[in-house]
Amino acid sequence: MNEITKKGITRRELLSSTAGAAAGAAAIATGAGPAEAAAAEVPRWGMVMDLRKCIGCRACTVSCKSENDVSLGRFRTVIQEKTHGTFPNTKKGFLPLMCNHCEGNEKDGVPPCVKACPEFPGERATFIAPNGKKIRYRSGGTYKRPDGLILVDAAQCVGCGKCIDACPYGVRSFNPYVKAGKDPTKQAADKCTMCAHRIDNGVEPSCVNTCQGRARIFGDLNDPDSNVSKLVKEHNLAKNVLLPEEGTHPQLFYVDPNNELNTLYTKRQKGKLDHFVDQIP
Amino acid sequence: MGNVRNDQADMAQARSNVYGLLASVFRAEPTTDFVNLLKSPEMSDAVAGLGISIEQILPDLPEDKLAEDLAVEYTRLFIGPGSRISPYESIHVENESNSSGEFWGKQTAEVKVFIEAAGLKYADDYVELPDHVSAEMEFMQRLASFESKSRREGKNEDAMFCKGIQKRFYDEHLSKWIPQFCEKIIDRSETPFFKEMAELTRDVIEFERENFSKKSDA
Amino acid sequence: MTKMNRRKFMTLASASGAALAAGVGGSRKALAGSVKIVEGGKDFSPTTGKERQAIPTTCWQCVTRDSMIGYVEDGRLVKLEGHPDSIRTLGKICAKGQAGVNQVYFPDRILHPLKRVGKRGEHKWKRISWDEALTEIAGKLKELRDAGTPELFMYQYGRHKASQAATMYDFMSAYGTGTIGNHTSVCEASKWVGQESLWGGMYDNWDYDNTDFVVNFGSNNFETHTNHIPTSQRLIRAKVDRGVPLYVFDVRLTNTAAKADEWLPLKPGTDGAIIMAMTNVIMNEGLFKKDHLKFMRVTKEFNATEDQKIAAIKEHVAKFTPEFAEKESGVPADKIREIARGFAKAKSACLVTYRGAVKHYYGADTERGAMLLAAVTNNLDQPGGRVMGVGAGWSHPKSKKAAVSKALHIKDGFPGEVAFPTHHVSHQVWPMIKDGHHGRPKVYWWSCYNPAFINGDNKGVSALMKDESIIPFQVCTTIVYDESSQYADIILPDVTYLERWDWEDMVSANQIAEFSIRQPLVKPLGEARCQGDVWPELAKRIGFELAWNGKEDFVRQSCEMTPGVKEAGGFEYMKKAGVWHDPNAKPNFGFFAKEVDVSGDGVILDTETGVYWNWKKAGSKSADEAKKVGYLKTPGAKGAYVAQKIGDKAYLAYPPNTKFTKTGLLDFYSDNFASKGLPAFPTYTPIPEHQKMAADELIMTTYKIAVHTHSRTAHCKWLAEIKHDNPAWINPKTAGERGIKNGDPIKVTSHVGEFATTAYVTEGIVPGVVAISHHLGRQHSGIYGSGKPSPVSGGAEADSDAKNMWWKKHGVHPNVAMPNWSDPIGGSQRWFDTPVKVVKA
Repeated sequence: MNEITKKGITRRELLSSTAGAAAGAAAIATGAGPAEAAAAEVPRWGMVMDLRKCIGCRACTVSCKSENDVSLGRFRTVIQEKTHGTFPNTKKGFLPLMCNHCEGNEKDGVPPCVKACPEFPGERATFIAPNGKKIRYRSGGTYKRPDGLILVDAAQCVGCGKCIDACPYGVRSFNPYVKAGKDPTKQAADKCTMCAHRIDNGVEPSCVNTCQGRARIFGDLNDPDSNVSKLVKEHNLAKNVLLPEEGTHPQLFYVDPNNELNTLYTKRQKGKLDHFVDQIP
Repeated sequence: MGNVRNDQADMAQARSNVYGLLASVFRAEPTTDFVNLLKSPEMSDAVAGLGISIEQILPDLPEDKLAEDLAVEYTRLFIGPGSRISPYESIHVENESNSSGEFWGKQTAEVKVFIEAAGLKYADDYVELPDHVSAEMEFMQRLASFESKSRREGKNEDAMFCKGIQKRFYDEHLSKWIPQFCEKIIDRSETPFFKEMAELTRDVIEFERENFSKKSDA
Repeated sequence: MTKMNRRKFMTLASASGAALAAGVGGSRKALAGSVKIVEGGKDFSPTTGKERQAIPTTCWQCVTRDSMIGYVEDGRLVKLEGHPDSIRTLGKICAKGQAGVNQVYFPDRILHPLKRVGKRGEHKWKRISWDEALTEIAGKLKELRDAGTPELFMYQYGRHKASQAATMYDFMSAYGTGTIGNHTSVCEASKWVGQESLWGGMYDNWDYDNTDFVVNFGSNNFETHTNHIPTSQRLIRAKVDRGVPLYVFDVRLTNTAAKADEWLPLKPGTDGAIIMAMTNVIMNEGLFKKDHLKFMRVTKEFNATEDQKIAAIKEHVAKFTPEFAEKESGVPADKIREIARGFAKAKSACLVTYRGAVKHYYGADTERGAMLLAAVTNNLDQPGGRVMGVGAGWSHPKSKKAAVSKALHIKDGFPGEVAFPTHHVSHQVWPMIKDGHHGRPKVYWWSCYNPAFINGDNKGVSALMKDESIIPFQVCTTIVYDESSQYADIILPDVTYLERWDWEDMVSANQIAEFSIRQPLVKPLGEARCQGDVWPELAKRIGFELAWNGKEDFVRQSCEMTPGVKEAGGFEYMKKAGVWHDPNAKPNFGFFAKEVDVSGDGVILDTETGVYWNWKKAGSKSADEAKKVGYLKTPGAKGAYVAQKIGDKAYLAYPPNTKFTKTGLLDFYSDNFASKGLPAFPTYTPIPEHQKMAADELIMTTYKIAVHTHSRTAHCKWLAEIKHDNPAWINPKTAGERGIKNGDPIKVTSHVGEFATTAYVTEGIVPGVVAISHHLGRQHSGIYGSGKPSPVSGGAEADSDAKNMWWKKHGVHPNVAMPNWSDPIGGSQRWFDTPVKVVKA
């Protein structure tokens, strides 16, 4: 058994030596990693979902399970599949969903999940920008990192579930295997981290890595030359987000020339997460 | 002083022996030799004191037939196919990952590293997973034996250190799953042998809790 | 139970000491070495330093076999990802590939050899050692071999490819049995037969990277395909990035149809009518291209002129008007015209067919029609068209063949049933065993195969396997207890594909061969053992030697003897790199147009057919005699084919393979077919059973989805979570006529059986059809597969994630109502032809 020695070895080595890196480091560099991000002082990670290219294959759903140890009964990313129209002019579409890593509203730049978190602001933390600059920020049970990722710190979580209720997209759940650090009688909240453990090592998220349609495009929205920035500009995607009326300012944009978004999207029902389970009918 | 040392050495050796017995019980299908040893007056008496009737758990059948019955029951309980009470720690202990309850889970790696850190290695012809119940019992057998030897040789510090390691292995591993494992066997056995052996194992593990909680060890 | 106390403990210890001293259990101890914990100070530190390795290997969840990187941490496989250097897969794997991790560690996996002790199906087993298992098996096999009846040992496999197949065939050839069954007839057999009758070989690749137009008949390329990842990503790329039109003819609105410019629902089994009608439009409107005509034979005449050929084709397809096709298929005639015109006018175009088109009565003929359509538009083996697939050609060690080699004639269907069973008729193996007139194996060994689940009338197969009077000794190599292994006499624990060695040779989507290897990511769990390691051991016990001593050795030797791979660094290189392709290779197109030197010793021209062939190689007595008898009538001549004379040139053209005697021309007029009373020229034949259906009958079809294979992924929890129930698809109109509403319980009944399920009433299926996926409804296959822990009493020791198994439904299996019907031409199981009655239950 051998370490692979061909291209990409530096990143792999980096990952293999990273203590505590979560399972499953990637083989492929993002192309949107530190090198590219260096253009801006701090990256603003985002994703574009190209609905033309999603073929509903579910590799993303499964790869996320594997990468992030997601237990049965919950998902961090799903495909919503919907058949509509009347035979023989029937259509079927696929809509990939995950945490939108919202910017938050214009006023305070705090997304609803962070706002709902009783443990935010919490511990002080330091983010090291690609140029080496240290940026101090406040973490919490749920918090926004300076690069825009919305993350959960199980150690600071009280397991109250307020963030789960607050998310208009319903992408959060309790992790039955992780105790809330500040109340071990409860389970900690859990959701997509945009594979922060991979991004931080210059490797694209697992779902992006496995997407055969290249429907998921990941990168730095602060870098005008990144693929995501170019797509947002080219397709004028600023408003092509889920539930724009919520004012959450998602950092996930959908390329949707056929106006399928509204037809395909099944919103969460209040208090329920039934919409966020990936099922092939 | 000498008496205390001998006492402790004896106890450590006793513990080693009992772990050795338990390792043999779960290691594989009971051989005819093993069955005959269990039927020996000394063993019969010893387990009778624990309320186990050898005649009852090892019925008076022709040797081959008895061995066959025990092998089939062993297979049914521990080997499969399909549902079984897998004799591996990782199957029984939950953890925070997808490996929870699967073969070669988090505990498997931990047990392997633990045992190897103690200077032992898995035998070349050993085909089971590192966290098989018998490997864990055998490990304790070896540690307790080392402790006993150290006591006899007056290497008290070594002995105490070794006891500490046993306690750690007991706390981190044996106590985390052997009791449930035994309860499952007791619940699902269709013949008395493994049921009684599981009860015995459960009691030994419980008795060990007392052993490890005793303070004075000097 | 008396509570333990010190006195009792010491007594027990004393007795135990005596037992241990007597060496009880001493032979199989786990640990070796001695305790070293305090030497050199108190340095005992059992902390887990996460050791991570990245190892290149190759997938095996399905036949596509994508190159991958496996990430291993502390001896556990934690993640699989696509191999970034693979030119076939471009660094991608699918959902099933991602769930490969589930294959290794699921708690229902079989880890030890087992011997049956109760009756078959009683689920009573005893663990035995490999030594005992192999001794018993070798004994039976030796007996058959010594008696001069090696053919009474039958081996049947579902998925054996590349070195997994090569090692098995090598053993079987050295042993002497040719009674080797496969599973191809439940897959695509008729498609290959149709192709072989034309371009000699088989396996079409679709050159999406260069195509300008795609028409697809019944291949759900975006969800499942024999070459899924390499082709599907190229198709969606072509579609979106280059705006390539995609039209999909399918009974259901598959994901492929969903992403198409248009989904064209059709009645099952009428693909051929549409294909012929498209050819009709193209010929009548003068849209055909003449380029390929010289390589085509369309009448009895070998040397017809271009004009004669055009006239003949026109005449052949004249009756298949778009209006006729509309009547048969339900697809509007104008739509057929529009697509035919687009297809013909495109610079290049892919004509895609798969099981939807060929798993029918005369499916092989439908494939011939598809080839004709591709040929008249010059889209055969041209960039952007339907091209001959290119795979890696490995050299490998070969053992000495047995002196006596025989086969039972139970692999190719009943006499007269199938005209060209060149890929065998695997679904009829058990019915033929039952029949008994063509011999019955005394030993039946199956591996990576589940005959009692995957075949038609699977309950019937199940009963036969259970009956000890049919085959007295049955061996199964498997990782999980399933519908078939429950009837084995010995179960051998197989390794998963993530624990074994192989070389792989799957076709590339870009026409450049890629070599890849599979290597163990982790040590085989428990006593699991690779078949490739079992064969040499078994050979020794029977009394012969193989030319290799295990799968690793086989792969090593192959790497060191395969041109290209060898020079790149052989085995050591492949272990590090995982994949290799010739960096100077050009995509392989248009091989047929290669001119060939015919001046070689023994090469003669057959004036009747225009074939240059080597009479010496054919074994003829003299050149004169060879000429007199002629190419077509000389047995063995097809192996001596050299070139085809066209005009005054000699082209490689389309050489016959070993299965059809033919010239180098595309045999659109086929003597082979004519001689069997089959249509010599591609045609359309309506499905006979569909012509006499009762008014209330529907046609049952089955299908695959993106997250399961046919029978080997039900126990993968991440896949089962996404697809665990398979309600029957039914159109609202059809459902309405039967008073069926969405979610209603229904009963589906055919002449062989019935099953109950629920209705999924959807606009995404053509009326008159009921469709149900075929991977679920497991009797066994672990807690995730069947929802039941096991057939053995007692609860599941399933993983703790199983507590989170939130779904309660586990689907149904339609094969109980599926007859074993064969395509009379190619032998394919006709999955999509069965009339059924569907009623609200």
